[in-house]
This record gives sequence, structure tokens and C-alpha cells, in this order.
Amino acid sequence: MSDDFDPLRQLRPDRVEPDDPGDPAMFSRAKEQLMSTIDQDHAPTYTLATPDIYPRLAYRDELAAVEYLTRVFQFSEQREARQEYDGKHLCWMRVGTGVVMLGRDTPVHRIHSPQDVGLTTVMMNVYVHDIDAHYAHAVDQGADITMELQDAFFGERRYEATDLEGHRWHFGERFDDIRARGGQAP
Amino acid sequence: MEESSDAALIAASLEEPVRFGAIFDRHAAVLHRYLVRRLGPDEAETMVGEVFRIAFERRHTYDLLRPTARPWLYGIATNLLAKHRRSEARRIHAMARLVSQRLPSDDEAERVSRAVDAAARCRVAAELVSSLPEPERDALLLHVWEGLSYDEVAETLGIPVGTVRSRLHRARGRLRELVAGRGREQGDERRHPGRIES
Repeated sequence: MSDDFDPLRQLRPDRVEPDDPGDPAMFSRAKEQLMSTIDQDHAPTYTLATPDIYPRLAYRDELAAVEYLTRVFQFSEQREARQEYDGKHLCWMRVGTGVVMLGRDTPVHRIHSPQDVGLTTVMMNVYVHDIDAHYAHAVDQGADITMELQDAFFGERRYEATDLEGHRWHFGERFDDIRARGGQAP
Repeated sequence: MEESSDAALIAASLEEPVRFGAIFDRHAAVLHRYLVRRLGPDEAETMVGEVFRIAFERRHTYDLLRPTARPWLYGIATNLLAKHRRSEARRIHAMARLVSQRLPSDDEAERVSRAVDAAARCRVAAELVSSLPEPERDALLLHVWEGLSYDEVAETLGIPVGTVRSRLHRARGRLRELVAGRGREQGDERRHPGRIES
């Protein structure tokens, strides 16, 4: 589309300067404030700072990925931070004290879905509470298990799964933590 | 897992206020981006919370026949912007400056002249935006930057769609005139990049 408004269109600040997706923690803080105004009894949830390093994973269908990771691996999306642009989305998922960012595969950042390149070069490591239950839930939801649940020599019970587009996930729980919750560990 | 409409959520929030949180989840990012575009990131962060607090307080007045709350929220944000005219003018001129600094290093004559031309047009657009009366500027930016349709702009500003049409028509005409007038002076423009601001 090209018309008399073009010069003004070009001045849109996020066109002039690179578009910064913004800090998901900012949205969480603003939402927390709103909720404590709305509901006097609102128990403030501690808003985690965004870690200094966190991965951005590329998917062909990022919303399907959000649904999958929520349902199968029990991640939770920071829904208030979700950003939409030109029909694409950037989403942040909280996993314990960590965060992963999901977005569409993009030529700008040159990241791709494993589905397109046929392999992946990275594995996401996640510590969970009660790995046995986590594993059972994932299996029940049809997870593609690529390493069965097992006790590793370095003191961790773990399993691995590959998600809907081929990203690899490694889930683990330390033996000490298993014992602390009353579970059996070597 | 089909989600319910904004209208349904707002209706539910009359009985159960915490339901309003989902309205924030759905629209905060877009409203924040709008505020960043018009004022910059610092003001936007403070104001985005304000928009939703006001919306919450006024939810009784929401027209439940409107399934999406986005124009309503844009309207609240736009009202808040009125107090920040000065920072808005500063921001858009800064953008125009940035555009003109990006002249290509390539010395191929035609390319440079095209780029100078584009930069000059952007300066003119910045000048126009900051000189427009507020109602026209709001309509213009909601349409051109936010991509709202005429109907949505009308809903946002609470004015008839005919008024939106005439405001945008006027702005379009002035922009065209200014661009045509400025085309002749563009060499001048480039030697005095700070001039428009004074």
C-alpha cells in the first residue's frame, strides 16, 4: 500500500528504530498493580525479574507451541506479556525461575524451527518438582519421549522429550529434592 | 478452548471484579505499543497501568454490544495522551531526525537524491503531525500507525464516522500540499537539519 500517508507511516517509531519486544516483567508488574487495585484481598504474586539470559525458540506455529508446552509440560504463559504483530506472536513462558520466549521463525534474527532445518543444536534443561508425576502427565498427554525416565549417575532423575516442532527438552529432579518430598531415590 | 468475548468478560467483571484481569492480558501489549509510539517507553510504562485502572472504574459504562474492547481502551489511552502534547512533539521530531540521518553512504546520485527526498517528506510529516489540532492528530495516528479502520477510529474517539472521514481527508490534503511545497527546498533542508524544530 502506498499513498499520501506514506511519509507518516515511515515515521512510526517502531519502524524507525528496531522494534524491541519489551520486558515481560514490566507487564507483570503493571498487571499486579491493577489486580491489587481491583481486589483488596489480592495476594500479590511475586513478579520474577526477567533473567539476564533466556532463550528465544522459533516455531512455525508459536501459538500451537504455547498450547502444547502448557498442556504437556505444564509451563505457564505470562499471558499479559504476549505481543502480536502482523499476525505473529511473541510469548513468554514461565518455568520455575526461568523463562523461555517463543516466536515465529524469523529471517531477521535468523532462527528457525527444527521442523524446517531437520535438526536442532540445543537442548533446554528444566528442573521440575516431582519428576515422576511430571513424566506420567507428559506421557498421558501424548508426549514424544526421546529418553525414558531414568536415574543418572550424577544424582538426578531425568527424561527427555521432543516437542511438536522438534525442540528438545530435558526434565530432571535432583535426588536430594526427590528425598526431600518423601520420594525414593538411590 | 475458545475464549469468551471482551464484552462477556466485562459483564462478568461487574459481579466478579477479578475477571477484568483477562482484559489486561488481551490488550495491554497493544495499548503499551501505542503509548510507546506516541510518547516513548518511559511514559508508556506508567500510563499503561493507568489506562486499565480507568477502564476498570468505568466498566459499568462499557457498551456490551461491542464484542471487542480494543477501541474503547484506545479511546481511554488517547484521552490520557492529551496531557503530553509536548513530549509527543519532541518524539516525532526526533524520529524525523533519525530518518534523515540514515542517508545512504553510497554516492550513487540517484539513490541519494531519492533518500533525501524521503527524509524531507518525513520531516514534513512530523511537522504536520505536531501542528495538527489534537482531534485530527488522534484520528490520523490511530488510522495510519495503529491500522484502525474508519469505523474503529470513530468508536475510539466517540465521533461519527463521517467526521473521521473528513478529518483524515483534511490531513491527507495538507500532507500532500506540504510535501509538494517542500520538494523544492529539500537541499536547504539537508544543510540545516535542526531548523524545523525551532
